[in-house]
Amino acid sequence: MAELPAGVVQAFFARTCCNYWNVLRSGRSSYGNLVSVRRVALKSQEEMQLNYFTGEQETEQMKKTGFIYDDTYLQHNTGDWHPESSERLRVIVNGLKESGLLEKLVRIEAEPANQRWVEAVHHVNYIMRFNDACAMGLPDFDHQENSICRESFKAALLAAGGVIKAIDSIMVGDVETAFCAVRPPGHHAEVDKAMGFCYFNNVAIGARYAQRQWGMKRVGIIDFDVHHGNGTQHIFETDPTVFYYSIHEHPSFAYPGTGRDFECGVAAGEGTTKNSVILPGRGDHDYRRKLTEDLIPAFKKFQPDMILVSAGFDAHAADMMSGVNLSTDGYDFVSELIMNLANALTDGKVVSILEGGYNLELLPLLVENHIKHLAGLRGV
Amino acid sequence: MFVIERMSTDLITALPDMKIGQAYDLMKERRIRHLPVSDGEGKLVGMVSDRDMRSAMPSKLLDSDSYEATLKKVMNFTLAEIMTREPVKIFVYYTIQDVLLIMRKYKVGAVPVVDDDGYLKGILSTRDLLSAFVDVMGIDEPGALLCILSDDRQGQMKKIVDIVTEERISLGSVLVSKSLEQDRKAVFPYLLTNNVARVKTRLIEAGFELTDPMQWYFDQLPKKQ
Repeated sequence: MAELPAGVVQAFFARTCCNYWNVLRSGRSSYGNLVSVRRVALKSQEEMQLNYFTGEQETEQMKKTGFIYDDTYLQHNTGDWHPESSERLRVIVNGLKESGLLEKLVRIEAEPANQRWVEAVHHVNYIMRFNDACAMGLPDFDHQENSICRESFKAALLAAGGVIKAIDSIMVGDVETAFCAVRPPGHHAEVDKAMGFCYFNNVAIGARYAQRQWGMKRVGIIDFDVHHGNGTQHIFETDPTVFYYSIHEHPSFAYPGTGRDFECGVAAGEGTTKNSVILPGRGDHDYRRKLTEDLIPAFKKFQPDMILVSAGFDAHAADMMSGVNLSTDGYDFVSELIMNLANALTDGKVVSILEGGYNLELLPLLVENHIKHLAGLRGV
Repeated sequence: MFVIERMSTDLITALPDMKIGQAYDLMKERRIRHLPVSDGEGKLVGMVSDRDMRSAMPSKLLDSDSYEATLKKVMNFTLAEIMTREPVKIFVYYTIQDVLLIMRKYKVGAVPVVDDDGYLKGILSTRDLLSAFVDVMGIDEPGALLCILSDDRQGQMKKIVDIVTEERISLGSVLVSKSLEQDRKAVFPYLLTNNVARVKTRLIEAGFELTDPMQWYFDQLPKKQ
């Protein structure tokens, strides 16, 4: 799309400001003490559940939304102690089944990614090294936290392949949006190094695929995992055709310690990387402010043809992996804002890919809410 | 940590009879702000900083004719005229801690490093010190910072380190700060891990308090009347 319709922008800003104002009025931005933040987070969670049971916010029309999942993803066994476990996907799928949302989604069968698409992002030596490590049955790869098993390579190829299939389904018009419930996650994976439980950079492979297979000129990536997607940033930091936006906990406090707000891209890619950093405990307040001030104008200027999302649910107050204390409401705001952007800029084309999120009790609800936004069941 | 591990040995030096004009070009071209001056045999005799240079230059407020004429004259003086003789210097066996205190005391941005006989061996700038501290804190490597409040008595650090070790996590660094509260210490372990959930839970179970850095920040803000 060449220009953003003025009405959409106005409506969007009106909504955003309105939300923002409601938050201020309800006193939810008083983050002077942590206890109140936690209380607010829990309170809003109860509210959301109430809404979910009564279906208050749901509307009738639903966008065709793809859901990518395969049991093979469970075979990537990281061991008992590991937070990035197959249980994460099990609870997500069970949650979606129980809520009845799963049957409303279009199931898309994943296929292993053709290695040429993995090579569009990763060094061929790295791919072979990873394959060998799995085949030899080594316990971990590149760092002791990157647990692997013999099936990990297969699962990783299928995770990247799931994203590729999601993009295909959108491009041929089978679905309008898609959520990829895949693992292992991807956004920490560098060109030639596995990091932070990630082996193949699923979102980066997806972006390259959208460009080379479907002729998408500009791809916008929005990464709301609480950790900075160092891999994705480094892969695209010199590339002006892919905009990488990430919002995450301040790198002085959170893994991996990159993604400071002065990292804006390199050489020709200067200006198409943007990082919003959130100090501990500042979740709802700062997510609203930074997304509105940083992401919207940047994407409006960049005019992406497609939006890919690195969806991490570990910023929530109940997730011990981070300290930003985003609430369930806060997550709704993030999803809503992404959908509004997509509706205005990319005809609603969004592929959202699971990254982190480790609180098994809350993860299903957060994913369900996110998918409801993708499906237009919420917030429109 | 000794300065010898951290100093720059790729030295750019000048002789005392070098013209200011030449030195100016040299410093600009090599993008350095401190130029050690040595005698023909390599013994340190002085230092020229960009501030020495600037104070030797004519004022740009002058009209262009007199500016150019004065500049021409200035450029023909030698470094011996403007260099700091007997500059603050350090020896190769000094520690990084020494240098921190020296730089703070004498307010200099770089110090020349000499051996016992006064021969120039290297130079250490604030930039080298910054890199040293990035290294010491381990923040070049991916990791996460914990902010722990513990009672100020013996054995607390061991408990923390034990828990971190039992979780099979490597330590990048540990900083300890003076108490934020009385009789308490703040400990900041930088853990080379993406997996902080379990270690945080275990620390809380062991009786430690994980501080909220923003809470601390808000407590420090001046209170509104």
